[in-house]
Amino acid sequence: MALLVTLNGTQVRGRPGQTILELAQENGVDIPTLCHHADLSPLGACRVCVVEVEGSRTLVGSCHTPIADGMVIHTHSPKVLESRRVIVELLLASHSGVCYMCDKANMCELRKIAAELDVGLPRFQVRKHYYPLEDVSPYIARDLTKCIMCRRCVRACNEVAKHDVFAIAYRGFDSKIVVDFDQPIDKEVCRDCGVCIPFCPTGALSQPRETKTEKKGKPLVVTS
Amino acid sequence: MPEKRVVLKNCGVIDPQDIASYLAADGFKALEKALKLHLKQVIDEVKASELRGRGGAGFPCGLKWEFASKAQGNEKYVICNADEGEVGTFKDRYILENDPFSLIEGIAIAGYAIGAKKAYIYLRAEYHFLLDLLQNAIAQAKKKGFLGHLDIEVREGAGAYVCGEESALMDSIEGKRGEVRYRPPFPPTSGLWGKPTIINNVETLTNIPRIILNGAEWFGKMGTEKSKGTKVFSVSGDVAKPGVYELVLGSPLRELVEKLAKAEKVKTVQIGGATGRIIPYAMIDASLSFESVLGAGAITVFDESRDIIDIVGKTMEFLAEESCGKCTPCREGTEVMVETMERLGRGEGLKKDIKVLEELAETMMLCSMCGLGQAAPIPVVDSLEHFRGEYENRIRQS
Ligand SMILES: Cc1cc2nc3c(=O)[nH]c(=O)nc-3n(C[C@H](O)[C@H](O)[C@H](O)COP(=O)(O)O)c2cc1C
Ligand code: SF4
Ligand code: SF4
Ligand code: SF4
Ligand code: FES
Repeated sequence: MALLVTLNGTQVRGRPGQTILELAQENGVDIPTLCHHADLSPLGACRVCVVEVEGSRTLVGSCHTPIADGMVIHTHSPKVLESRRVIVELLLASHSGVCYMCDKANMCELRKIAAELDVGLPRFQVRKHYYPLEDVSPYIARDLTKCIMCRRCVRACNEVAKHDVFAIAYRGFDSKIVVDFDQPIDKEVCRDCGVCIPFCPTGALSQPRETKTEKKGKPLVVTS
Repeated sequence: MPEKRVVLKNCGVIDPQDIASYLAADGFKALEKALKLHLKQVIDEVKASELRGRGGAGFPCGLKWEFASKAQGNEKYVICNADEGEVGTFKDRYILENDPFSLIEGIAIAGYAIGAKKAYIYLRAEYHFLLDLLQNAIAQAKKKGFLGHLDIEVREGAGAYVCGEESALMDSIEGKRGEVRYRPPFPPTSGLWGKPTIINNVETLTNIPRIILNGAEWFGKMGTEKSKGTKVFSVSGDVAKPGVYELVLGSPLRELVEKLAKAEKVKTVQIGGATGRIIPYAMIDASLSFESVLGAGAITVFDESRDIIDIVGKTMEFLAEESCGKCTPCREGTEVMVETMERLGRGEGLKKDIKVLEELAETMMLCSMCGLGQAAPIPVVDSLEHFRGEYENRIRQS
């Protein structure tokens, strides 16, 4: 049974169980995402994928909301774009990473989305997330200063690597991805694993490099 | 007389330790009546009463039950939300303390109506002192044979405000970190352990035996068009007589604040706790109803000696502290608001602060994943509407 949905003014067909994001992608509509990853279960945490669904009091997360017959969806209305901007601004306002000194600068999804949404210096004044660098493990380095709490690492560890290294601790602004009782990551199970590292959209997780290895520059992937 | 004891009719009348006194006050007659009806008739009666949830959101109770009753599966759950974490709310405690049997009867009827065999009462951690009383009441009801169809278990909360939110509450019962889930799916289709579940507030469920016994028509005679029945309020703050009061819905706020609680020189009233509305004294004749202002029943009164920036700042601190931290707008936004309010409190506000607060509020309300983040900006938005001058006074002049 096909579902009829109006996507940005055009009638399109979708399948039951499909999310708004999947439908949009299938129809060539680009919605930004941060916490979502096609190989991981949906979470709905970052909220940059929000879209307007007519009749809904709030905007809805497209990465986890299934389509329904007769749904009327706007993925790029002024309300949506402004909200996405504020969300990315919020992430940047408390972010204390410095892009020009960041390993991931060339592929950072946060930076890419910020550029696409035209977000520059954030309006918001707020304290920064600051955590010491965790570079004790030879397999994985963590710089939570750059973490945006998308929890892709947590899900990649559980769902792909089938381990249980990460947990969420504390609440609100201070919530944090922790290992054991909030110790720097140095887990035997992480030996030769590194599954979570490429899942991290920012420079928070990386492969430790030997200090003297030369790193070859890559061109910026940031478009638009 | 707008003050009327329907939900609280047994409070102070029966002995909460002794089921005999409850039975003498028509106790469990509604359950007996319900069990003789088809479950659809029970749900229809609740639907016809137009009872709306008393936990804050005001969702039609009968509709929720109908969804759960129609959902596929033999394993279904009833949860009574007794987390009562909203600042200034203590009306559920009053009900639990004085009339646990009415609640148990309500839960038993709900269980029958949706076909659940198991029910949980999620009791606020700070209400540990009520555990024995509740368990005793359940044991007595069981002994008398009223709970043959339903097992009721009390689960204690972990002391987090967000665990009163239905999805976080269910995670907490499942033994996980109490965190909000995205919806849909909604609990009536996929709730506790992924099974169809209804979750209702203590006061909502306490209304049920009254409705079943006296009929939807009787219930519908009280209240306004969209708010039927009564509401139990807990009044605190700058009042001479703080306490729990029950009023017919649609009663004027003035009745509660000035006549019953004896407040004087009122500057503002916060209705519905930390995420509630802040209204100025000029609106004291507002009707207490879902159409106007209501919330879960917390009424906090502030007199003319109070500072709005301070009230809103403290409220934001609470919300930032209690945010589960899962979604960006609430996790980061509440902190921005706390720091902005602090700056204003010191008289060091920036020119852009008011505009930034308004824009941020809009996004938090539109994009947060649960009611906490969606409602967190309300104190800011309301106070900016009614007390804007007090913000402007705190902007650094230079
Ligand atoms: C942050 C937050 C806290 C909540 N706390 C409570 C609470 O303590 N008690 C309650 O009954 N409902 C609370 N709710 C509302 C519940 O999510 C849910 O809507 C309610 O229990 C449904 O019952 P009702 O329909 O009978 O009102 C809270 C909601 C949010 C967003
Ligand atoms: S993680 Fe991204 S945004 Fe942060 S410093 Fe690195 S490149 Fe910049
Ligand atoms: S470490 Fe990376 S993947 Fe993990 S939550 Fe932070 S930003 Fe996301
Ligand atoms: S709105 Fe706040 S409390 Fe609700 S899910 Fe988001 S972070 Fe958690
Ligand atoms: S991508 Fe949908 S909420 Fe993060």
